[in-house]
Amino acid sequence: MEPFTVARITAFSETDLITQAQHGERSAFSELVCIHAQGVRNVIYRMCGDPQIAEDAAQETFIQAWTHLPSYRHQTSLRNWLYRIAVNAATDLLRKEKRILPNALEDLQLQDPQLGPEALFFEEERTELIQKAILSLPEASRAVLVLREYEGMSYHEIADALDIPVGTVMSRLNYARKTLKDKLKQSLFVQVEVKHAGAR
Amino acid sequence: MPAHVSEWLNAYHDGELQGNRLHQIEAHLAECDLCQAELESLESLSGLLHAIPAPEFTSPERFAAQVNLRLPHEQTKVSRKQILEISWWMIPVGLLGVWVFIVTSNILSDIIYEANNFGLLSGISNWLNFGSLNGVYLSSTLGQAGFLSGNGLSWAETAETFTRMSLPQISLQVSIALLYLSWSAIWWARHMRQERGPLLES
Repeated sequence: MEPFTVARITAFSETDLITQAQHGERSAFSELVCIHAQGVRNVIYRMCGDPQIAEDAAQETFIQAWTHLPSYRHQTSLRNWLYRIAVNAATDLLRKEKRILPNALEDLQLQDPQLGPEALFFEEERTELIQKAILSLPEASRAVLVLREYEGMSYHEIADALDIPVGTVMSRLNYARKTLKDKLKQSLFVQVEVKHAGAR
Repeated sequence: MPAHVSEWLNAYHDGELQGNRLHQIEAHLAECDLCQAELESLESLSGLLHAIPAPEFTSPERFAAQVNLRLPHEQTKVSRKQILEISWWMIPVGLLGVWVFIVTSNILSDIIYEANNFGLLSGISNWLNFGSLNGVYLSSTLGQAGFLSGNGLSWAETAETFTRMSLPQISLQVSIALLYLSWSAIWWARHMRQERGPLLES
């Protein structure tokens, strides 16, 4: 019963905070920022791969949210609404800071063939390779992948957050995963081997 | 063996399947090594993605304080978009209202006419008849001039009555219905465009 009660109280408090913030109450809005700061920054970081850009874009996200809060409707959850703004803010920033994505793609093309199976065990290199593979995805597919994999959102929640049909969520996710599997063949091979070795 | 189920494996992996579809995929996976291997590769991919650590961000409280410093003084009161959204709903509702008013007026008018015929409104029959002409001036004139007579005159009078009394009302109702349908079609097209998420199309 405990989690249910806590969830109910949180939901009621958030609704109250939203109503107060819609009437211009800054302290209520600050509390909402505290609640959603981590999620919004995570989404943007996974979208762009740069912690500093994630901080900046998250600030922009909350400023936009504050400005447009009076037109926010309670049918959509605040988290989904914020994530939508966050994804768009990240996309805008990436377009402005074009230097990040092209370099990442270039590095990925240069490094991937050189990495032997042994090198993939090195954590840093592997992390960098995966990060770059994610960044090489089209923004639309990347957003769906990030919300599913890192935020654990259901297809319906993603559809609601990005204002797209569930069928589009499925097709973008299929595309993103297929592309990543192709780009990370070697890493995946090692991952499967490690898993099977563990099972034996 | 039935066809492979690759297109459903993502949804299966994400726990989005239910009912018959779920049983169908599970049954297929129990028999098909190829699909089983594909599912394993999806699970491995998820494992790889989760291997990337999240960075250390500033604390939420400090972040909220930074945001607070940058907040503009004024919020947008009622956005233009919201006003447009209300208009999109109010115009067809207004058209429907006009249509309902016309139909109700006609029905009421018929009821009063019939009641008058049965003598239920004898007190006001003079008022009802005041100014009510049969509206067949053209047919009468043609009849008096000798151009029409008998059945011809009768048909001409009926046609003229219909044209003068009923046709404008029918035209008006058809126009309103067409306007409403066009409006609905435009609204649907606009809604479909929004559903496709223009900001995120790749």
